[in-house]
Amino acid sequence: MTHDPQLLKGVLSLLLMHLLAERESYGYEVVQRLQAAGFEDVLEGSVYPALNRLHREGLVATRLVPSPNGPARKYYRLSDDGQRALTDSTSAWDRHVAGVQAVLSRPLGPIPSSDGGR
Amino acid sequence: MAIGWFGRLRIEGLVWMLDQQLYDLPRAQRISTRREVRANLIEAATDLGAGEALRRIGGSRGLAEQYLRAEFGDRPRPSWIGAIVAAGLVPMLLKYVFAEAAASFRDGVTAADPHVSGTFVSTGLEYLQAAQTFTFTDGSWGNSGGGWAPLAYAIWLLSVVAAGRLWRVRFSSHVGAARADN
Repeated sequence: MTHDPQLLKGVLSLLLMHLLAERESYGYEVVQRLQAAGFEDVLEGSVYPALNRLHREGLVATRLVPSPNGPARKYYRLSDDGQRALTDSTSAWDRHVAGVQAVLSRPLGPIPSSDGGR
Repeated sequence: MAIGWFGRLRIEGLVWMLDQQLYDLPRAQRISTRREVRANLIEAATDLGAGEALRRIGGSRGLAEQYLRAEFGDRPRPSWIGAIVAAGLVPMLLKYVFAEAAASFRDGVTAADPHVSGTFVSTGLEYLQAAQTFTFTDGSWGNSGGGWAPLAYAIWLLSVVAAGRLWRVRFSSHVGAARADN
């Protein structure tokens, strides 16, 4: 399943916050979880900086955990501010979806012919 | 899947290239980013192979841009590393040009008379430097003067401002202290 990159960019933070609210994860694991959820076209190059931004904004906290495969993993978990931001963003998303759905569910009239009805 | 030495080398290459483009980040954050990207790439390479892991993360330039945007936002930002490079390189370039001009003058004098004695004044590169006085004694020489003129300092300053795009400083958002969590 492919997604519009622009739409995805707008909701990536919301998706990341929700995944991290479910359980803490390190960068590559977050990517795998996103892909398992159907976002196969989400690449690491956009997820890692997005996690970095959430950290800078104080919405996630981090800790280093030794890894058996190599360098220590940086685990992200949602902070208290992140929980509040997730609640607000989820409400905003619901309103957005409802608004879009309300427009899209309106019945369409007959499509005008190309000769302008002449 | 084990990562071969070539795969590991490619990963280190990308991490190094990324690091070179993140000099505008606070030092602790740059190191933290470098370590995290390396750790994630090694995890991904163990799963998918180094080639696929590197393809999925994209080029170092795009990745660096995303990290810088994540830190500073989408607004235009100055390049402190550019300003520092210009601050170091421009004086070296000016010094080289002045030295070449002085050498040309000296060579002209000694070409006319290899055993010249006397005092000669060179205006040097007018407007960029002060006049230089060369004292010759039987072809050997000493000199004084030739300091930078105000225009040379102005060129230096303008180069630093241009290379660092420092006019963007006033538009940049305030960046908080780096989180040095590792």
